[in-house]
Amino acid sequence: MEKRVTFGKWTIGILFAVPQLILIFTFFYWPAGQAVYWSLTLQQPWGGGNIWVGLDNFRSILANADYWNSITASLVFAGVSTGLAMVIALVLATLTDRQLAGSRLYRVVLIWPYGIAAPALAMAFRFILAPEAGFMAAVNKFWPGFWDPGLNGADAMASVIIAFSWKYVGYNFIFFLAALQAIPRSLIEAAAMDGSGVVRRFRDIQFPLITPTIFFLLVINITESFQDSFGIVDIMTAGGPANATNLMVYKIYSDGFKGLDYSGAAAQSIILMLLIIALTIVQFRFIERRVHYR
Amino acid sequence: MVERTPILNFFTHLILFAGFVFCVAPFVIVAIAASHNLKDVNDVPMSLLPGSDFFVNIKTAWTTADLGPKLFNSFVMAAGVAAGKVFISALTAFSIVYFRYPGRMLIFWLIFVTLMLPLEVRIVPTYAVVANVLSPYQAIMDVTGISWLIEKVSGVQVSLSLGLLNSYTGLIMPLIATATGTFLYRQFFLTVPDELTEAARMDGAGALRFFIDILLPLSRNNMAALGTIMFLWAWNQYLWPLLITTDQSHATAVTELKQLIPNVGGAPEWHIAMAGTLIVMLPPLVVVVLMQRWFVRGLIATEK
Amino acid sequence: MIIVKRGLTALAAGALSTALAVPALAEPVKFDFWFGLSGDLARVVDTLCKNFNASQTDYEVVCTSQGNYDATLQNTIAAFRAGKQPTVVQVYDVGTATMMLSGAYKPADKLMEENGYKIDYSDYFPGIARYYATSKGEMLSFPFNSSTALMYWNKDAFAKIGKTEAPKTWEDVGADLKALKDAGYDCPMAINISGNESWQLMEQFSAIHNQPIATKNNGYDGLDARLEMNKTKFVQYVTDLKKWYDGGLIKIKSKDLGQDMVQAFATGTCQVIMTSVGDHGTVGKTQKEGMHWDVAELPVYAGTERKNSLVGGASLWVLSGKSDAEYKGAAAFLNFIHDPKTALFWSTNTGYIPVTKSGFEYMKSSGFYDKAPYKGREVAIESLTASEPTEITRGIRLGNFTQIRAEFGTQMQAIFANKVSVQDGVDALVKNGNAILDRFQQTYPNKTLP
Repeated sequence: MEKRVTFGKWTIGILFAVPQLILIFTFFYWPAGQAVYWSLTLQQPWGGGNIWVGLDNFRSILANADYWNSITASLVFAGVSTGLAMVIALVLATLTDRQLAGSRLYRVVLIWPYGIAAPALAMAFRFILAPEAGFMAAVNKFWPGFWDPGLNGADAMASVIIAFSWKYVGYNFIFFLAALQAIPRSLIEAAAMDGSGVVRRFRDIQFPLITPTIFFLLVINITESFQDSFGIVDIMTAGGPANATNLMVYKIYSDGFKGLDYSGAAAQSIILMLLIIALTIVQFRFIERRVHYR
Repeated sequence: MVERTPILNFFTHLILFAGFVFCVAPFVIVAIAASHNLKDVNDVPMSLLPGSDFFVNIKTAWTTADLGPKLFNSFVMAAGVAAGKVFISALTAFSIVYFRYPGRMLIFWLIFVTLMLPLEVRIVPTYAVVANVLSPYQAIMDVTGISWLIEKVSGVQVSLSLGLLNSYTGLIMPLIATATGTFLYRQFFLTVPDELTEAARMDGAGALRFFIDILLPLSRNNMAALGTIMFLWAWNQYLWPLLITTDQSHATAVTELKQLIPNVGGAPEWHIAMAGTLIVMLPPLVVVVLMQRWFVRGLIATEK
Repeated sequence: MIIVKRGLTALAAGALSTALAVPALAEPVKFDFWFGLSGDLARVVDTLCKNFNASQTDYEVVCTSQGNYDATLQNTIAAFRAGKQPTVVQVYDVGTATMMLSGAYKPADKLMEENGYKIDYSDYFPGIARYYATSKGEMLSFPFNSSTALMYWNKDAFAKIGKTEAPKTWEDVGADLKALKDAGYDCPMAINISGNESWQLMEQFSAIHNQPIATKNNGYDGLDARLEMNKTKFVQYVTDLKKWYDGGLIKIKSKDLGQDMVQAFATGTCQVIMTSVGDHGTVGKTQKEGMHWDVAELPVYAGTERKNSLVGGASLWVLSGKSDAEYKGAAAFLNFIHDPKTALFWSTNTGYIPVTKSGFEYMKSSGFYDKAPYKGREVAIESLTASEPTEITRGIRLGNFTQIRAEFGTQMQAIFANKVSVQDGVDALVKNGNAILDRFQQTYPNKTLP
């Protein structure tokens, strides 16, 4: 997307970008470059010697059937949790934006899920989703064996998707709300005067006007569902049962962080990175066309 | 709103209330757990009637984790990260959207890629950088021969070193170095009508003037949203603060909180852990409340 | 900040450090100790540190909890690579192989010798010492928090089926579980099948039955060791567990399902569990009122000569690259921890067991094991000392063993969800585990285990 009107002196323009560029070079690209180097070697974790192996790390990962399972699981997780988190947040934000009584309270509370601390998340969802305690235990009373995340992979996947979506509803809600509130009241009132109903107004005015935000959240949600999921997986399922929730980033985390296989983990991160970049390019190419910037 | 829609209003309230319950329930469960004693908190299912030990547990958690100064550190870190992101991202997005120069898209993508590799995955090399933040530059100078040149010319051996371990700067900087904010501002700036820019230029306003007087005030909602999210995100960071603050004077509340979590083989003191969690979660929730003031209805039409 | 070095500065720095050494008498030498315990155990370590600091004025240990074992090792590596490592670090049992190959440590026995401390290494229980010692018997690190697995059994439930003793053989266990089920107990026994349970289900079982987990004496004799538990009694054991699970005699209990094994036992829901002696205190503190229970050694298959069970926990490593003064402090600290009085303090406040014979004797003589809540914990020592350690029951020295444990969890879950047969699952564990070992060996091409 391009602006028609821009400022002339592009040297000044670049200056505006310099602080960010210095930061990301120092704290991102330099360390990440090291990770790239690691992926082409076998690193001894404590330093002191490494062997150049070229693309061997990549070859052995891609030859592993478990890894392809992990990719499939990650894609399923990303698709479902992004969809859930965005749709629910959009509905809640649109309704809150109607500013009926109590909307101030909702505005505050519906963001809270993103502020939850990891141990609290684990505790709460253990209470809600554990088959022997709390809410799902009641469901299991009616349908014995209905819910068994301990041995049933699909149930375990559902658990982590629910927990992740719950957290990101809070994230999406605040950005949706910010975008909706930026729409001038006069526009909506004018449409209401013309006799268009709430649903119609949403479709014709609000939705098109917030497409830039929807696009932003879509890209961020897909990215984060690949990146930010390892904490939840670690707490809730540890990748199990039988690898059903062994998402790509969790595998990187457990191989690299727990197993000290830095090279294997680095190679996996690069594959993950390329996958997300590819997905993002697709989104910019095909979805951004439908975004109304002005 | 102008029209009367009782049925729709009813459903609006119903759905929002359901959302409210879903969002608040986990917090309530945590609060109830924090009021039990060791035995009751480990009952399955745990009783949803609050126990009587709430204040005892809060006090135990507060003193054992020494939360007072730690909350302050967390606040400095989270506020620093939020402010840094809100500010630096705005500058960068402004550069990318409002100027046309070679390599502009490259810069955008360079920044964008930082979303793709979480800190946890590159934590070991990042730590090395923070231990001496000038080491990348030293390495570049060594490789390019600049160090050698300087040494030959002046007889001075160049050795750059600036450690950021156990400092607020070291805590904050690496957490700012990602792209979420830049992308958000870009999305917003692209919706700002060109007429505004033209008018500003007609009035003789330069780029900086336009940025400060027009663009930033218009971005208020987005800044508030970004600031809130980044505050919450930074507040809950765990691995990074744990690694770089070996000295207790810079430790954050969340790292201390993790030490309240029962160890395998230790006593399952979940009531203390949950009391600590509740204390640690409270400030960010209050920040959310305060940030609400920044959300305002749009004043100008973005539609042409 | 640019620091310019010239010839002169080095000289000046030398003079400066000598000048600083004189007034250092007043200031205690500080050194770092990173550990991986949390919750109430972290508080006990903190107290231990305070006690050490109060016991003398020359050194001050700064103790920092890194939350858990994984993070401790990871953070230590990150710090070591940047030259900011702590002096003493707690590394868990399965990290021993990685540490031995790291070249990042100062051998503990050398450290003590250099600083004039005489440690009687034969005082350590052999089952504990050998786990951490090299194949030649040198102590590169000192055992710290130690435990072993026991069987916990509900006396009230067993009384209902006319038993006053815990089952000694797995054959008896099968019969007793059946009887408990028939007597109306819904959950006669609980197990968990996550990766970490490898410790009691696979590692302890194999040691007690003198069955190897890997070739080359479980890896002690070389990095080319490979897994072989698909050919041992372990397969029979998993088959039995699975059979009992299918028959409703065993339930899976884990935190994700609502209740973990320890809670399930403490509340009287399940009648038998196998877990660490470290949970002895937890069961006591959270048990259903009036419930009678006890601990026993893990059962063996009939006709097996019982060997020693394995130690679990962590040891203390001293890292290289620190100053002599810090090493003096570290040696004093390790000596302090080695003291029988510290052993009593440590075991009183945690569920861990003493690691030395003198510590155990001291605790016995002070009446520690005579009454509740500590009575029964001596069974752990009996289990650890059931025999002299054999080549196989010394321990397990395999690279990246945490990943092998994770693989154990994966395959057990596949077996219990009926996705694969027992033999196929254990075969897959061996195959995938060996890939991990291959990789580890390739990473250290020219190194051998000390």
